[in-house]
Amino acid sequence: DAHSKRVESRRLLEEAQNDAAQGDNNDNKNYAEFDIAKILIDEEEGEKEKPDPNKPYSLGPKISDWDQQISEWLKTNPDFPNFIGPNKPRVLLVTGSSPKPCENPVGDHYLLKSIKNKIDYCRKLLLSHPEIEFLWWMDSDAMFTDMAYELPWERYKDFNMVMHGWNEMVYNDKNWIGLNTGSFLLRNCQWSLDLLDAWAPMGPKGKVREEAGKILTRELKDRPVFEADDQSAIVYLLVKERAKWGEKVYLENAYYLHGYWGILVDRYEEMIENYHPGLGDHRWPLVTHFVGCKPCGKFGDYSVERCLRQMDRAFNFGDNQILQMYGFTHKSLASRRVKRVRNETGNPLEVKDEFGLLHPSFKAVKVSASS
Amino acid sequence: MGQDSFTPQKRSSTGGGLPTTNNAAAGGGRSRVLAGMPRGRQIHKTFNNIKITILCGFVTILVLRGTIGVGNLGSSEADAVNQNLIEETSRILAEIRSDSDPTDPDEPPETEINPNTTYTLGLKISDWDQQRKVWLSENPEFPNFVNGKARILLVTGSPPNPCDNAIGDHYLLKAIKNKIDYCRLHGVEIVYNMAHLDKELAGYWAKLPLIRRLMLSHPEVEWIWWMDSDAFFTDMVFEIPLSKYDKYNLVVHGYPDLMFEQKSWIALNTGSFLFRNCQWSLDLLDAWAPMGPKGSIREEAGKVLTANLKGRPAFEADDQSALIYLLLSQKEMWMEKVFLENQYYLHGYWAGLVDRYEEMMEKYHPGLGDERWPFVTHFVGCKPCGSYGDYPVERCLRSMQRAFNFADNQVLKLYGFRHRGLLGPNIKRIRNETVTPLEIVDELDIRRSTHEKTETRS
Repeated sequence: DAHSKRVESRRLLEEAQNDAAQGDNNDNKNYAEFDIAKILIDEEEGEKEKPDPNKPYSLGPKISDWDQQISEWLKTNPDFPNFIGPNKPRVLLVTGSSPKPCENPVGDHYLLKSIKNKIDYCRKLLLSHPEIEFLWWMDSDAMFTDMAYELPWERYKDFNMVMHGWNEMVYNDKNWIGLNTGSFLLRNCQWSLDLLDAWAPMGPKGKVREEAGKILTRELKDRPVFEADDQSAIVYLLVKERAKWGEKVYLENAYYLHGYWGILVDRYEEMIENYHPGLGDHRWPLVTHFVGCKPCGKFGDYSVERCLRQMDRAFNFGDNQILQMYGFTHKSLASRRVKRVRNETGNPLEVKDEFGLLHPSFKAVKVSASS
Repeated sequence: MGQDSFTPQKRSSTGGGLPTTNNAAAGGGRSRVLAGMPRGRQIHKTFNNIKITILCGFVTILVLRGTIGVGNLGSSEADAVNQNLIEETSRILAEIRSDSDPTDPDEPPETEINPNTTYTLGLKISDWDQQRKVWLSENPEFPNFVNGKARILLVTGSPPNPCDNAIGDHYLLKAIKNKIDYCRLHGVEIVYNMAHLDKELAGYWAKLPLIRRLMLSHPEVEWIWWMDSDAFFTDMVFEIPLSKYDKYNLVVHGYPDLMFEQKSWIALNTGSFLFRNCQWSLDLLDAWAPMGPKGSIREEAGKVLTANLKGRPAFEADDQSALIYLLLSQKEMWMEKVFLENQYYLHGYWAGLVDRYEEMMEKYHPGLGDERWPFVTHFVGCKPCGSYGDYPVERCLRSMQRAFNFADNQVLKLYGFRHRGLLGPNIKRIRNETVTPLEIVDELDIRRSTHEKTETRS
């Protein structure tokens, strides 16, 4: 019967596997000696799409009625609402990294750096997920360090984009680091599609990006010379077309939607001593962002050792908040080992974890009358 | 943020604080932590610190030369800088990977547990079903069924240290991305564990205390689904037919004849299985654990298992053999509630599957979960996080890459892309952009098609 046939073939397979292992030209079983580049090649060469250099870059065909499209879709799909609670919009966190192993042997373990087409991803995802109210882009070198903090969604009800930054630094100083695009929110609506369309043109690799870089360096304060990046590009866009976009962009600095690692990581012990999760700000940052470390590339802007060591500490700082749910913590912020901090009990359900993360109110399911 | 070529705005002070090298207790098969004399360790540690400080300074100097340095440096010199930097990083990495935890003077040297006392996973609990029932009735906003589906928690993990080689970490990343994709599409939450909750049960045994802990902390979870880090989802549409298991508490891929007639050590596979959150499961975990504590207990248990299970090589007790032995020797107590599943690949042994992906794509479609389109492809024996596998490295890595792309294609489809081939990283467009994207969404979104299936069932 089919069943025993399957069993038999499996058994034969395992024997055959052993034979094959002997017969392989390359039966090296040592991972250290292997060069992965041998494998990661595309068989189908050619037919690579070359964009027409004369056509101006565009993210895709222009859509002008996205708000109506979404609205109708939501009506016909009541099981996929865009709000899952009274003040809780459905949020999709988006992040990414290179499909290839890092250039640097340690990069793959710590973090993998994202490619720079977050704008493309954002548009594609907005259009594919009408049930999503907010897209939350997060760079791969950013870590959550406050596990209890919930974003103040009501604050943003009249805005379509939220980035960490300061109004004065952007609009008055035109400083290229007046905001940070390593962690930001984008509402799923027509305005956002239009913004993405306006944001993208400096992006295309090659001459366009190079030339755009020069403009940005010239126009923005303190910007070094290098090709256009998405962050400078949006500072420039907001400054130039403030009337068009500014009203719907919230530059947030009351908490660390993005927190530059350099001023945070040495204070973790002090934070543990004086404060608690749920604050999200300088006392207990929501996000610690390792700008400039680039562990996946060959060269970062900071010493390798400082970056890696601090990334480990930030990871453990965040991980401790998860582990405490289960009664454990890391032995120190530098240690990968954990120790028990709460005794076992015969009544585990009477134990509340300190920050209420096991069953937080923001995870509560709406209790419907008919269930 | 930032580009590879730009001059940095800020530089941290060089040579900074002393690093602490650290290492967790070893996982199965990898180097063991040595219990050394405290003073010896101190000296060793100081020496390490000095070494690292010097290395650190050296690296910084190289980096400074490489970036601030004059533009008329020839490319050969830049290459040399590259090369040095890579070497230095590797050396730092080796330090991080290699050795012991920073001193904890209060911690007694590690001793084996007394083999005469029975090891336990934790305080005995006998009324878990009752406790859980009460909790659920008091917490209706955390139900164990959501939208008609039982709440599942997928649990997986990997050792806290970097892998022995970078490629191992790269495939851990691909494997977790693969699991994140499946779980996002199917409303399953994930716990990724990198901590040894119980140092006695390290290695493949680490899943036992973890599963127990999660059951007790999450009464709202109906099923805990353990999945090995070397297992990939390859059918993004298939859903576990949970209603099939209404009368069972453990679902594991296996074959009754291999189990009861052959007593084979591979009669079932503990790389991907489901445990119902209930008293029975706690009891099974308690009965399963005793062969696990490392040291002489595990060694001796290994001999018993090799003697009793067909085909088992000689090595220390592993959780899979131990479970088979337990179910065989206490069949009447447990088997009534154990489902040996083989109608679909809750665990699919990779060697027989990976060469057929092209054939599958040609003839079949996702959603089948069986030999036509395997639900899970599990890379047993490849061990890419370690130094050596049981199979040739090239074959393993090539196959893992193919499985990853095979699965990723199913996720990318909604967005209008697929990989060019099953090996390479590049993707190509398979659908033109449109001004009415929601028609595609209605047709292709996996989440919606599985939702409809649930609706009709309930």
